[in-house]
Amino acid sequence: MTDSAVGGPPGTASPVAALATMPGDQRPAAAGGGNRTGAARRFTAMTGVQLAVIAVAVAIWWYISDVASAGSVPSPARTLSELAALLGTSVLWTAVGQTATTWLIGIAVCAAVGIPGGLLIGASHFATDSTRLTIDFVRNIPPVALVPLGLLLWGPTRSMVLLLVISGTIWPIVIQSIYAARQSEPQLRDVARVFQLGRRWWLTHIFLPGVTPFVMTGLRVAATICLLLTITGELFGGAPGVGTQIQSAQVGNDNPQMYAYVIMAALLGLLVNTLIWIAQRRLLGWHPSFRKRA
Amino acid sequence: MTQVKHQATVPALDADALGHHYGEHHVLRDVTFEVSSGEFVCIVGPSGVGKTTLLRCLSGLQCPSVGSVRFNGARVAGPPRELALVFQDYSRSLLPWASVIDNVALPLRAGGLRKREAAAAAADALHEVGLGGVDPSAYPWQLSGGMQQRVAIARALAYKPSIVLMDEPFASVDAQTRADLEDLVRRLQVDLGLTVLLVTHDIDEAVYLSDRIVALAGSPAGVADVVGVDLGSVRDQLETKLRPRFAELRAHVYRLIRGARAQPSTSN
Amino acid sequence: MRTRLRWLSVSALELWLPVALLLAWWFASRHSTSAYFPPLRYILDGFRLDWLSANGAHNLRPSLTVLVAGFGLAVIVGVAVGAVLGLNRTVERATRPLLELTRAVPGVALLPVFIVLIGIGTDMKILLVASGAVWPVLLNTTDGVRSTEPLLVDMAVAYGMGRWRRLRSIILPAAAPQIFAGARTALAISVIIMVVSETVGAQGGIGYFLLAAQRSFQITDMWGTIIALGVLGYLLNLLFRLTEAVVLRWHRLYQARLSAPRR
Repeated sequence: MTDSAVGGPPGTASPVAALATMPGDQRPAAAGGGNRTGAARRFTAMTGVQLAVIAVAVAIWWYISDVASAGSVPSPARTLSELAALLGTSVLWTAVGQTATTWLIGIAVCAAVGIPGGLLIGASHFATDSTRLTIDFVRNIPPVALVPLGLLLWGPTRSMVLLLVISGTIWPIVIQSIYAARQSEPQLRDVARVFQLGRRWWLTHIFLPGVTPFVMTGLRVAATICLLLTITGELFGGAPGVGTQIQSAQVGNDNPQMYAYVIMAALLGLLVNTLIWIAQRRLLGWHPSFRKRA
Repeated sequence: MTQVKHQATVPALDADALGHHYGEHHVLRDVTFEVSSGEFVCIVGPSGVGKTTLLRCLSGLQCPSVGSVRFNGARVAGPPRELALVFQDYSRSLLPWASVIDNVALPLRAGGLRKREAAAAAADALHEVGLGGVDPSAYPWQLSGGMQQRVAIARALAYKPSIVLMDEPFASVDAQTRADLEDLVRRLQVDLGLTVLLVTHDIDEAVYLSDRIVALAGSPAGVADVVGVDLGSVRDQLETKLRPRFAELRAHVYRLIRGARAQPSTSN
Repeated sequence: MRTRLRWLSVSALELWLPVALLLAWWFASRHSTSAYFPPLRYILDGFRLDWLSANGAHNLRPSLTVLVAGFGLAVIVGVAVGAVLGLNRTVERATRPLLELTRAVPGVALLPVFIVLIGIGTDMKILLVASGAVWPVLLNTTDGVRSTEPLLVDMAVAYGMGRWRRLRSIILPAAAPQIFAGARTALAISVIIMVVSETVGAQGGIGYFLLAAQRSFQITDMWGTIIALGVLGYLLNLLFRLTEAVVLRWHRLYQARLSAPRR
């Protein structure tokens, strides 16, 4: 209960240290400071170990490239130089841009439709029961089944990929949103009634913050599925993007280039995961699963 | 020691022949009592006797199957504006995503107060419950259990009710904190002239806090008796609890609750 | 009697929408002359001929082999590695960046790599499915094992249970609900990768059939295959849920108890 607000200048700490101190932390400032330097030291030691683990993995890759049949696995150096060369071309950036755009449109459409739809369904017993079987069936159709239909309708284009992407990405969002609306804490409903919060206040201050963690979980799952399906659509249906580049490199027997594009796809995946992690931390700093990391 | 019916004025809260059942399961039967304005009343009964159901009916959160509840003479159909409720489980009744000050200010903001006025009133209430030194931008879950329950009490106070209902408010804190919170509630009730109705399973707590005790017993539960507590208006954790009269009242309520039950009870 | 009526009304509530949608499709497409949207009647005929027949079984066998083997491998490896990572904080933190990097590779993107490395064969398909499906199992196992109630582990130590016994009787059961949740995602991913992997080479399988139907403009066959995939996905999920309901009976009852209204 001591005045700990002056413990450290805000905004100057490293991201890790910023995580270690929460606003309004009740512990005395001195102890917090001590922990912080300790955590920082442990952090650097661990970073070294983590880098070493990656180095070992690269070494194994190198070894495999050496013993594998001629040229089937390019060495890390060969792949990275290929990637470096590609980074200077517009071909790669166009492909990355196309993939990223499709991903973004897909996730945006699914969120815009899936979140309100799911919450509305979840808010009513009748709607939940009525749609259960239908949703259960439709979401279990493997989305790739729709690629041929998309190809027939639109050919190898972004619309075809979006049909695949949306039909697969929307379900985790819808289902988590239904679940979220069902799960809202009954005690908080009582609080809202006793203190006579009107509909608007209940919605903005109790219902929506309460459903956010569940919806975010759905979005997190959806975002990775969305990227997987975007690249699947490109690779499988031949629409322009990173997936097609991987495919054409393989067809052209250009293994280093194929690996370089796979790494590019992985980097995209990493970017997506990081973006979601940041969004979750910003929105859900109060949530138990994030408190622990503090 | 029977029901006191001396006021000419309308009682603050009036339960008339309340009964409630969930399907075939009858929980409450013919519960009748009243609470006068400015009085501290405890409803005491063993765990699982239906105290929470009774409180939900009294606060208008739930409609009783039989009978009626009147608040200042008007029949209760939903939670009245002048009534505030402190829930048992602070961890589930405080918003985990809102800061301490926002938790207290939310009902005021929803009631139409401007942000700054609501924050000022909330800060006053927090000061009143002894949380003046706490960082108002902290989240409730960063505080200790006792402090969280103080936040919940502050939220009720800031709402400026004439009656406060409390459902086992100190059940999930340690003994020392519990004593502190009991004294806090007792002081607030006297200082602010509040009417308080507190539900508990702890007979000591009921005798220590209240002016009158409504003892619930039986299954379905009914009022075993209403006991007046003549221990004066100033209470002290050590001195009051050592008085012979305290022990007598305690034993009397104990017998009321146990006597009406056929099988041995598992409550503490 | 009363409960039976209740059950009937619930299933009626669940059934009306799918029935209405099917009827709407049936009547809306009845006189359809569009090449891409044939009447539902023809689609169902095609579905019956292609899939509810010896021919269908013949086409399904390679698909199911890849699916079951790939998914099974993913679960075994995912639980084993996940348990190690969940039990050992240092190993988990040391390998985290590497795992994040590997996990970020979209499973399907590895198809060309696997073709070059292993060749077009059942082994390649199984490994591809496993490599994509392993992640949800692995991550959920790590998480579940790590968040085992420490008191339970202390109890096991106090009663002198050995390391292996603790893992089997305390830690894995405690993590099981999360492992199952991960496995369910893994199953959906497995089906996707299985279908995609079958579009290379010509060894039959549901994915091969799907693409062949589209390429040769056998539109009703294509629709029939889409339905077959839907039915397959639904049945797999149903089977999975039944298994879960049996294995995690305690968890279901426990959850119901926790969320029951308090009186």
